[in-house]
Amino acid sequence: MPRLLSGAFRLKNDPRILKLPPYLSLLCILVGVVWLLLLPLDNYSRRTYISENALLPGQVHTYFGGSDQNVFRAYKHEINSLADGNATNLAVNDRLAAIFAGIGLKTARQPYSYTTSRAVQGENIYAILPAPRGDATEAIVLVAAWRNAGDETNRNGVALLLTLARYFRRWSLWSKDIIFLVTPDSSSGPQAWVDAYHDAHRGSVGSLPVKSGALQGALAIDFAREGRFKSVHVAYDGVNGQLPNLDLINSVVSIAGGQMGMGVAIQEMWEHPDGYRDRLDTMLRGMLKQGLGMASGPHSAFIPYHVDAVTLQPFGEGWQDEMAMGRVIEGTFRSLNNLLEKLHQSFFFYLLMATERFVSIGTYLPSAMLVAVNFTIMAIALWVKSGQPEGEVVPGLEGQKGEKARLAVERHLFLPLGVVTVAQALGVVPLWVFNHTPASLQTTVFVVFLVLNTALPHVLSAVLTRTYNPTTQQYQLITSFSLLLLGMFLSSLATLNFSLALIVGLLSSPLSFVRPARHLAWSVPLALISPPAVLALTTALWKNGGLAAVGDVLREAAFGWDVMGMYTPVVVWCVWWPAWLVGNLVVLGRPGRGKAKVA
Amino acid sequence: MRRVLSFFLLCFLSFCIPTFAADYHEQLVLRPLPLSALLASFNFRSNTSLSAFEAHNYRFFPRSLGQILQHAGTRELHLRFSLGRWDAESWGARPWDGAKEGGTGVELWAWLEAETEEEADHKWLTLTNALSGLFCASLNFIDGTRTTRPVMSFRPEGNHPSSNSTNMHLLYGVLPREVVCTENLTPFLKLLPCKGKAGIATLLDGHKLFDASWQSMAIDVRPVCVPGEECVLEIEQTIDMVLDIDRSLRPRDNPIPRPPPGHELKCDTSKPYHSDDTCYPAVYGANQDWTLAQIFGRPMQGICPLADPTVPPVCLHVPDSRSVYSSAGVREIKNKDGLSRCFEVEPAADLDVVLPRVESEGEAAPTLAESIVRPETPSLYAERSFTGYGQERGGVQTILRNPSPDKEVEFVYMESLPWFMRIYLHTLQARVDGPSTDQESLIDEVYYRPALDRARGTQLELRMRVPPASTVFLTYDFEKSILRYTEYPPDANRGFDVAAAVITILDDGKGGTGSASVSSDKHTSSNLRTTTLLLSLPTPDFSMPYNVIIFTSTAIALAFGGMFNILVRRFVAADEGPEVSLKRLKRGIQTKLGSLFSKFGKASIKKNE
Repeated sequence: MPRLLSGAFRLKNDPRILKLPPYLSLLCILVGVVWLLLLPLDNYSRRTYISENALLPGQVHTYFGGSDQNVFRAYKHEINSLADGNATNLAVNDRLAAIFAGIGLKTARQPYSYTTSRAVQGENIYAILPAPRGDATEAIVLVAAWRNAGDETNRNGVALLLTLARYFRRWSLWSKDIIFLVTPDSSSGPQAWVDAYHDAHRGSVGSLPVKSGALQGALAIDFAREGRFKSVHVAYDGVNGQLPNLDLINSVVSIAGGQMGMGVAIQEMWEHPDGYRDRLDTMLRGMLKQGLGMASGPHSAFIPYHVDAVTLQPFGEGWQDEMAMGRVIEGTFRSLNNLLEKLHQSFFFYLLMATERFVSIGTYLPSAMLVAVNFTIMAIALWVKSGQPEGEVVPGLEGQKGEKARLAVERHLFLPLGVVTVAQALGVVPLWVFNHTPASLQTTVFVVFLVLNTALPHVLSAVLTRTYNPTTQQYQLITSFSLLLLGMFLSSLATLNFSLALIVGLLSSPLSFVRPARHLAWSVPLALISPPAVLALTTALWKNGGLAAVGDVLREAAFGWDVMGMYTPVVVWCVWWPAWLVGNLVVLGRPGRGKAKVA
Repeated sequence: MRRVLSFFLLCFLSFCIPTFAADYHEQLVLRPLPLSALLASFNFRSNTSLSAFEAHNYRFFPRSLGQILQHAGTRELHLRFSLGRWDAESWGARPWDGAKEGGTGVELWAWLEAETEEEADHKWLTLTNALSGLFCASLNFIDGTRTTRPVMSFRPEGNHPSSNSTNMHLLYGVLPREVVCTENLTPFLKLLPCKGKAGIATLLDGHKLFDASWQSMAIDVRPVCVPGEECVLEIEQTIDMVLDIDRSLRPRDNPIPRPPPGHELKCDTSKPYHSDDTCYPAVYGANQDWTLAQIFGRPMQGICPLADPTVPPVCLHVPDSRSVYSSAGVREIKNKDGLSRCFEVEPAADLDVVLPRVESEGEAAPTLAESIVRPETPSLYAERSFTGYGQERGGVQTILRNPSPDKEVEFVYMESLPWFMRIYLHTLQARVDGPSTDQESLIDEVYYRPALDRARGTQLELRMRVPPASTVFLTYDFEKSILRYTEYPPDANRGFDVAAAVITILDDGKGGTGSASVSSDKHTSSNLRTTTLLLSLPTPDFSMPYNVIIFTSTAIALAFGGMFNILVRRFVAADEGPEVSLKRLKRGIQTKLGSLFSKFGKASIKKNE
């Protein structure tokens, strides 16, 4: 044992050991990426299964249909006349209230307004069907937004909601209240309603006059298209990459896919032959959505309150009609009605790669963790390295090369700590600016910021070298602290939002290997991976909208941050951007002899 | 409602008092409500003189209950089984002014005669356990944590001249989680003199009763003394239920609400798009026709021969303008107020009542609203809900609305909360929202008995007022305790039910009739209960502890096994130990066999000798 220990000590002082970390770090990144690519394989992912046996999806007969279709057609006429006449939100709600009253349900309304980067106001209307023998302790929600996420009028969705309300009214088996909610849009309306339901709303959002019990689940219908459809698309991403319980998705898949035989799609994969490429594609789309953390439908607002929710969107050309869609919802509601306790059995952290294939957190988390760990490894390596004298910098010790390894050098911590702190603090500026700019100015402000952002490292670096003239050791320490913070942030973020941590980690992985470069050209690739540049490039590539699309994205981000509590901007501006800034400073750095020696 | 009750009062005054000593009355009051609902109130009342009761001489009074009451020293007993919720917005004031209903689940309060609190507790334990057996309900789970001693909320309904107030103890227990079902109805019916075999009790069918939107079964036992007469012990059994006519009309052999054939849909034909395949449905629940037999699944079979023949068994509250048909052998008596009528039945005749559809055509057609008696506006609306989210803290908000434009409502608001809901009394706030916004103190008096962990729950009683045409928001915050894992109930954990808040409206003496009993206390009041709440506490994943237990047990077993092995075994080098080989084994067996043979050989030699 002592022999082993002394061996380890000897190894510690071996200069070769300090050459190892960059390779180790690179290996971590590579393994992380390869790990991710392995996940779609059969051996690494699992088949989904219903974990909560009480759900019994697809085990009941559904009776929605027959003459209910006549009623549906009539409601559809009503909705069409409102939609074609461009009725205002209030006029729509007046009509809906009358229809609900005709069904025998009491309605309540909730006005709300948000004044963020874009001003939004509207009024939600909802009706509560009390559980026939229940006592208002639990409730499930059926949502249909008047304007869906694609800004089309949800004609069939609202008509279907009304018909289902009338149909559900006839059953006496409901154990939970059913709330029928119609919101004017699919983001702010549901958010205002759910916030107010949990009394977490702000002043500009009205309180709910009538409430029921604890929400146990929610289902949103997004059925704007006309004509018959082929199958159902399930949107399940919540704000900040939070996901509903996998059991809910499994139930919908089993009811729509199994019982009704209409097939289910996820992540806008309209065709999914279940090959490796399809699975990988589905998974990456899901990760991108999760990473961006934006709301993907009316259901997104429910998930932060631990109310499991999904949105159902019919798509494709097929022979399924509105009644089939209604039966899917009926079957899902019957399953939710069976729940004895909140959905908790199955997974909350998962990546779906097909409707019936998933990986759970234990399997996928290592890839993000490995990417995060690479920063920590480099940070530690740089810390150790900074403690060892370097011959060429300290000329007085050149003669004692053999002794060099033994000597420890005093570290000058003040400047590195100061630089990293200032960089972190600067992150608040873009965060504030982008969340408080009026919507019309977002694009302009972004362009200005992009230019400033490119110039900023050069200016700061010039100031830094001019005033302090940091030594190599100080540059090493600056990098070390910055990477340490980045590694720490990303590894904790990986447990909350895996995809965001992985995306940020991969995009900032070159920062692990920065060192002062004599050549200005090295700052060009770094400028390309700066957060604003990545934002501009990706939106230009995918949305084909150029800078206007950037403005849209920023408006959505500001709205998400203000209204929905989306924290992606915080991660971008306060974790990623400072790390990038420090990395760029180091690349542009010209190690000198330190301020004291110059003086 | 008042009118109904005054009618009751009149009825009881005229019929009941002369034959107070030992009699039995039963009556069913039907009352159509808006939104196609029908309130059916069954009332069974009998009494026995106190002296007969003391002498164990039971006639109408059920012996099983009587013996329990005597054994537990109970002076007055109130037991409630309730399900569903009363929709005050549509249905108006509650039947019996809320005096005969409980919160969801089972509620029990009683005045026990005892010298000390300990003795009262002991008797309470006896009472709850005995009633638990009698009514097949988990009343024995009303333990110390679920029992409170209300100070302001409940008053004795009976007269207690013999006992002074010091040895009368009021105990109140509630089980919000208890599901009321047919196993509670059967013992309830068995207490009746006719046992559900004749009279209005034949209409009580479990399928219909428990399909009701709201139902409450009540048992009240109280001593009643009329000056100059002997005191009697009165038992009143009440069942109130609100049936959804639409659901009740569904035939029993086909309970699934399949869509009706298209031509049977009731459509609004005035719509321009109305056609064979497009139907805007007519307003829900409007203009339904029903018969008693359809609603309850069978007609009333005869009358109970023991019941007082002067009390008509069935009364119906619809305006006189509406025509009602009844079966043969039934006589209809219209009441003078023009809003109700009663039916007298010949013995052994079946009773059925038919309410035909209101003719909506013609000149003088009555509107739909006129076809039913308008429900009376309640004096207070109350609604309670949780606020906040998360596993750590929460809040409770009660919205109390006074609809009266000029009358202030004074009431006692009582909460009995479980101990694991730790309330912060300093956050208790009453905010008024209305025309008179003077924020003078709305709470006049607070009685607060804090909870003790695992020993007793919180009891909070507030005497407060709501100004006319105003809404008061009563809020307080609480913290959720973390339970030990054995304290979670063994069933699927949907959360913990918090009992309904009891609101006792205090009357200044004019108006309100409170209890239907003639000789009730002068201090009349009406009651109101909020819905129960579902409190979710931080819940461990219960399979986890078991996994941990199994895992650690395995690890310990392995470690202990190895350690034990090392400790007790002596290790020697291979060459030091005895040689283990096939040859050695063979030799061993040979020697063993050899000795055995030699023994046998010796024995046979001895034999030969």
